[in-house]
Amino acid sequence: MAVIDASVTDASRETTMARSAGERRAAWVLTAPALILMVIVLLAPVIIAGLLSFTNYSLGNSGFDWVGTDNYEKLFTRSTYEKMFLATLTYVVTVVPISVGLGLGAALLINSLGRFREIYKTIYFLPVMATLLAMAIAWEFMLHPSIGMINRALEATCGTPIEVIPFIANGCTDRFPLWLGDKRYAIWVICFIGIWQGFGFNMVLYLAGLTGVHRELYHAAEMDGAKSAWERFRLVTWPALGPTTVFVVTITCIRAFQVFDTIEAFWPQGGGPNKSTYVMMFAIFEKGIQQNLIGIGSAITMLFLAFVMVLTLIQRWLVERKVHYK
Amino acid sequence: MIRDWWKHLILTLGVIVVIAPFYMMVSYSFKSPGEIDRGEGGFFGRQELMVDERCVKLRDPNRDDIAAAASRFPGQSDAEIRDVLVAKAEADCAMRPVVFNYSKAFTEAPLLRYLLNGVIVTASIFLIQVVVALPAAFALAKLNFWGRDAVFALVLFCLLIPVHAIALPLYIMLAKLGLTNTYAALVVPWTISVFGIFLMRQFFMTVPDDLIDAARMDGMGEFTIVWRVMLPTAVPALLAFAIFSVVAHWNDYFWPRIVVTGNRDLFTPPLGLREFKGDGDGSFFGPMMATATVIVTPLIVAFLLAQKRFIEGITLNGMK
Repeated sequence: MAVIDASVTDASRETTMARSAGERRAAWVLTAPALILMVIVLLAPVIIAGLLSFTNYSLGNSGFDWVGTDNYEKLFTRSTYEKMFLATLTYVVTVVPISVGLGLGAALLINSLGRFREIYKTIYFLPVMATLLAMAIAWEFMLHPSIGMINRALEATCGTPIEVIPFIANGCTDRFPLWLGDKRYAIWVICFIGIWQGFGFNMVLYLAGLTGVHRELYHAAEMDGAKSAWERFRLVTWPALGPTTVFVVTITCIRAFQVFDTIEAFWPQGGGPNKSTYVMMFAIFEKGIQQNLIGIGSAITMLFLAFVMVLTLIQRWLVERKVHYK
Repeated sequence: MIRDWWKHLILTLGVIVVIAPFYMMVSYSFKSPGEIDRGEGGFFGRQELMVDERCVKLRDPNRDDIAAAASRFPGQSDAEIRDVLVAKAEADCAMRPVVFNYSKAFTEAPLLRYLLNGVIVTASIFLIQVVVALPAAFALAKLNFWGRDAVFALVLFCLLIPVHAIALPLYIMLAKLGLTNTYAALVVPWTISVFGIFLMRQFFMTVPDDLIDAARMDGMGEFTIVWRVMLPTAVPALLAFAIFSVVAHWNDYFWPRIVVTGNRDLFTPPLGLREFKGDGDGSFFGPMMATATVIVTPLIVAFLLAQKRFIEGITLNGMK
């Protein structure tokens, strides 16, 4: 018996050895295409952008000069780029909290309803699905100064009691805003469309998060004297939604940084009235691709990547620290 | 219900804001230019017959036409014959605004071609993503090999890089290879989905090892196992990933805008719409909104038919 046992284990060890060698070869063959593409499509461009950001390269030129940190210095000294940072920051700082807040608010309201939940959910999710470029053009018509629905609706309020609102009164005596043509409003319109498009996505994530909150927790909180709805939210719902919030904020941030479609659709040249909507993505497109200033475009790209990576790393760190107090 | 009235009030206000541009887009695609200018006609417009000026101009009778028609109208002067022909052309060119808008959408620009390009591009992207990601995900989840942790770490690192952000160096690489203005340029940057690898790997981790061992006992090689055993188990996850991928690339505007310049044959639907807008002389709101409606509709309809799956797919990256 012992002999047989030994031979069996020997044989099985041999097959395991043979198998593991074959397995290793198979594993590398299976991962090779993905590995090669990752290096060519994702890693190489990052390195190339990093290198080119220190040059004055242009497509079509045979050579280039190393210009040190000139491109980066330009980014931090020229007023165009100051406007770029201002526009990007304004957009991100406005869109992220509002669309996360609205997403959470909508999710809480919908979750507390007995009926019509699905209808609200479906409708709020529509903008997430729709081609943003098409919807941007639809918004452009809505905001048209003379034939747009919005200014028509505002005009209709003239002569009614609503006219006491200063904004409406000004519009009635003078004229209503040009919206996209007015540097005071342009960036806020872009923010509004960003929020309009994105909050349904956040709502759905929060709704999924809410299904994970245990009912007993609410009972326990009530026993502990959490009487008002606000107390229950503060003590139970909000902490339980911690991981969802971290994720929602990060992904909204990353998406907000990438805003482009609406701006290119409204102002194909130059990034809005007085460059008030000249966001980073548009700057990369305009400088790097349209004007063939690859060096400066690469420098913006590197800065952009740095922002996004830092954001994601903060998110991963927060998730690993288990923000959800469980 | 009655106690909750204020919630419904707030949510309904939200619904109005969310729906407004969709309402306007579809409504304008039904109306005549006059109705759009004056803001009348409700949702559907009055659908009165309208005359397509360009069509009439195109059929403006010249001397030959009048001479040819002279035999049919004996004893009439050329001017009279001309009037008759113009009236006939106007009658032929009269149509309902909705027909006018949608037929213009398809004839003014090769919209069908754009839609076809959209299908080709999104389908090839998804198929290649699966062919590349599925085997890698299987290897990372189920095979023991030296370097596996390093490969997985690389995947996690690459998750940090949004493809849109590295558009400029990718564009330079494609330009150097002479690949701009090709289908390849539209597809190549998206062939590798690190997110897809990550997702599939997490999914395969839950598949019991016994299943794979049994397949090996049956004499299947690792490649056969990927496509004959793992693929069928992964169908639900793949479906969600398909929705995620197709929605993203059907709606993508930034990347096609960069690599396709001028060559209309390669335009994806959003590029086509953009071109339409650029050409517009102001009186073409109706056809443009018809184009927009045509582009947005497929995904919206699919979404309405399979809401659960879509929401699952789009929010996939929320389930990490």
